[in-house]
Amino acid sequence: MATFPDQAWFSEFQARVNQDKELSVIGNWFSTRFSITVDDSRRVLVVNSGQITQCIMAPRFDSRPVFGFRAPMAIWQKFLTPNPPPLYNDFFAMLMRVPDFVLEGDGLVAMQNARALQRLMNLMRKESV
Amino acid sequence: MSHIEPITGRYVQVDINGAMHRIFYEEAGQGTPLICLHTAGADSRQWRHLLNDPEVTSKFRVLAFDLPYHGRSTPPDQWWLRKYQLTAQGYADVIRAFWQALGLVKPVVMGCSMGGAIVLKIAVDYQKELTGIVGLESAAFAPGRYNEFLHHPAIHGGELCASYTMGLCAPATPEANKRENWWYYAQGGPGVYAGDVHFYSFDWDGRESIKTIDTGLCKVSLLTGEYDYSATPAMSEEVAASIAGSRYTLMKDMGHFPMIEDWAGLKRYLMPELDSMLA
Repeated sequence: MATFPDQAWFSEFQARVNQDKELSVIGNWFSTRFSITVDDSRRVLVVNSGQITQCIMAPRFDSRPVFGFRAPMAIWQKFLTPNPPPLYNDFFAMLMRVPDFVLEGDGLVAMQNARALQRLMNLMRKESV
Repeated sequence: MSHIEPITGRYVQVDINGAMHRIFYEEAGQGTPLICLHTAGADSRQWRHLLNDPEVTSKFRVLAFDLPYHGRSTPPDQWWLRKYQLTAQGYADVIRAFWQALGLVKPVVMGCSMGGAIVLKIAVDYQKELTGIVGLESAAFAPGRYNEFLHHPAIHGGELCASYTMGLCAPATPEANKRENWWYYAQGGPGVYAGDVHFYSFDWDGRESIKTIDTGLCKVSLLTGEYDYSATPAMSEEVAASIAGSRYTLMKDMGHFPMIEDWAGLKRYLMPELDSMLA
């Protein structure tokens, strides 16, 4: 069974993203690398034209994420529930109201891609498909 | 089936502090005037469901106008020579000038988000001129929405503001309704949402002044969505606690934009409040 944030979970997530009709429409310029950090475990996603082309499960110092989201597991679990509670339903909500959910790195790149990034992040919940 | 909606759109020339403004407004219904204020960076289209609902328009003359710089209301002359930054006083001046220009007597003023904030100031300053206020997503003090990315040369402001605000919708909100509001936001003028949020984040602090609202003169109803993380339920509860005689209800499974997110859902909560305004 796939469990966040293991390899199987990211493989399923990658498939959801890469099959998403909306991202195929809006993701043309969405090419970057960003990290998702859960407690001390970091993953780096390589995105090209709205498609996740690589999930780096054990990134080295040369993985070069431009930005990333970092939070304790308890926060990610709330975000990932099918019906997330208030303040945890969107990454913008957590950035405003959940102090331990952090956007690190170059926030400018994240916000340049806000529309596609928001769609991608919400696809972390498989119910968002 | 094709049909023409009962809403009409018109323009009114309004003198606001000595400067003429061309203001667009939508209108429907007859009865007690009900002025509806859109959210930051948006326009009157957010009120289309309410304007089309005969249960409301049989009792109220509903008027929803676009603030200057928003929707189809043009900015005042020389706008290109000054940075748009809404202030509490400037915002209140526009609203009052609008109801005076149309000769509205004892209106109810309903606003959402920053509109839900300014109705509190309106009630403080002009309570003898009003029937009451309805605050959707009201907060007396709500810092935190402003950021420099909202108006930045390297970012598509329309897309960012639209996505930034779409997160304020509740998970249960029908997808098409979220996207409709997204579309309205994406059409905002450059820097307008940021300028509105300037009022909301920096200029607005009504925590003390709202204690002077006399609900015997001006009725106060407050409705806030469970999922609103900008004006949270706790913030609205604080407003209600500061205004003796006010009515407050938490709206389950609702976000920051109830009138466009889920009109049927809002209507269940709103109609008793509108009826209380007529009582």
